[in-house]
Amino acid sequence: MYAPFYKYGMFGDEVSLIVAFVIGIGFGFFLERAGFGSARKLAAQFYFTDMAVLKVMFTAIITAMTGLYLLARVGFVDLSMVYLVPTFVVPQIVGGLLLGVGFVIGGYCPGTSCVSAASGRVDGMVYIAGMFAGLLVFGEISRPLEGFLYSTPLGQVTLPAFFHLPYGVLVLAVVLMALVAFAVAEWAEKKTTGTAPDAEGSLTAMPWRLTPVRRLAGAFAVAGVLAVVLGNPYRGNTVEVDTRDLALGAARAQPLAPAKLADWIIQGRNDFTLVDLRTPASYGTYHIPGAQNVPLASLTADVAPRNQTLVLCTDDGAEAAQAWFLLKAEGFRSVYLLAGGLNGWRDQVLYPKAGPETSANDVARLSQVAQYFGGTPQTGVASAAAPPMPVLAPPVAPPIAPAGGTAGPKKKKEGC
Amino acid sequence: MDSVQDNPQPYWNPYWAGFGLGLVLLSAFVIMGRGLGASGAFTTATAAAVHAVAPAHAESNSFYAEYLGDGTRSPLKDWLVFEVLGVFAGGFLSAALGHRLRFFIEKGPQIASGPRLALAFTGGAMMAVGAKIALGCTSGQALTGGALLNVGSWAFMLGVFGGAYAVAYFFRKQWR
Repeated sequence: MYAPFYKYGMFGDEVSLIVAFVIGIGFGFFLERAGFGSARKLAAQFYFTDMAVLKVMFTAIITAMTGLYLLARVGFVDLSMVYLVPTFVVPQIVGGLLLGVGFVIGGYCPGTSCVSAASGRVDGMVYIAGMFAGLLVFGEISRPLEGFLYSTPLGQVTLPAFFHLPYGVLVLAVVLMALVAFAVAEWAEKKTTGTAPDAEGSLTAMPWRLTPVRRLAGAFAVAGVLAVVLGNPYRGNTVEVDTRDLALGAARAQPLAPAKLADWIIQGRNDFTLVDLRTPASYGTYHIPGAQNVPLASLTADVAPRNQTLVLCTDDGAEAAQAWFLLKAEGFRSVYLLAGGLNGWRDQVLYPKAGPETSANDVARLSQVAQYFGGTPQTGVASAAAPPMPVLAPPVAPPIAPAGGTAGPKKKKEGC
Repeated sequence: MDSVQDNPQPYWNPYWAGFGLGLVLLSAFVIMGRGLGASGAFTTATAAAVHAVAPAHAESNSFYAEYLGDGTRSPLKDWLVFEVLGVFAGGFLSAALGHRLRFFIEKGPQIASGPRLALAFTGGAMMAVGAKIALGCTSGQALTGGALLNVGSWAFMLGVFGGAYAVAYFFRKQWR
């Protein structure tokens, strides 16, 4: 049994909604217990009189961070499968500033406003109405902002990768930073309110006794030091093969029809990675738009995040099979082989043969798709020689309106 | 719900409440491979509402279309939508158990109800827009990304605290 359970296919989308509701109950429960249904308690953070926002937030962060590190380190959780919101530096700082100002003005953030409204506060309900209004306005003005929204991209990147430091060192640094911040927060509260904090619930107040709260802080410090000692939490180069899973998978190795792939590309879907396994020379002569060239010899698990769908294309069936086994063994869940390889692509997408029995609609569709990729459909009697591959050039303008209504290399934003 | 409940219990110690919240977040990582969120659910709800009123407009708008999915199932059958419904339920449950259910407008003593509600509305609108620009709010970016050591989330947190402390002085009368 491996986690994340959902990503390893232990349950489907329907069950995930029940899980969502239950996790949400926990989220709302602890927010309310912390007093985060109260705007005045939240806003007090910014006047240094009650630093509960900082304490709750950073305790939650270091709890989840150290817990996830340890579960990943013992091999229970595959850390590379936990979704990371991609980084766009400037929009995220600007958005953060806007949220910070809105926090002081409104008194809530989106999550805490739900708790506030649920406990009966009218200002929380009005805040939610304000959010809907803001989203309606944003929906109308977001188009011209798109250039800015996707500026300064760094991709899915963690602090350890960014600073080229071991993961554990960052875990310890965040734990220590949080503990220092807690001490400073308690000192600030004492300064602004003039009252001594209750010794039982404080980390710094005298008399010095080993209270439960201090044990918790000590446990975080120990976990942080352990993280430095134990090292990399990601799955290493050793590959564990679940032979049964692999055999079952091989029995129904997923072929992907070239026409299907063509549809995906035209729709602008980017939830898959197209990997061209041929030599750089063949790739240079012709490749499917958007394909990455990764010759079999240099194929590793780094080709894409493990939860990404992969489509492999090559002309060599044995090579495709090898790559498929390698990636499945590395834990990729969804690996497709382009049916017929590049030849299949040529015969079915670039130069599809339309016989006399093909309906006019289908012929029109085939020729639209073929033209999109720079080919032409072959009507009438099939010519004996295979036509040459088109010259490598991106299509000038997409002649086909995407079916889904949305085009462009964008992903549904996950996260918040 | 509009009756004042007697003897509201004190809130929990922040470190223990944070520990509980952290365990919920950790369970989301382990079970789902994703973190918590909030603003995304409101975006989905907005997109679905616009779609119900003006389907053609919603489908031609790339911002809404992104949240409407491929049309094979209701956009409201979404992970974040169900999670946020849970947040309402959990918040209600905790407030009820703690004798904290009370129908009122929360504000400082120096501000009237009307201006307070106007500010709540404005703040909500600003944060919704900010959350769209930042790809997340305090739940999806700060909490979730913070625990995952996500570069953008830590940049985001600097922005939130920086923005809030920069303007806190000007809004002190609302709260104190």
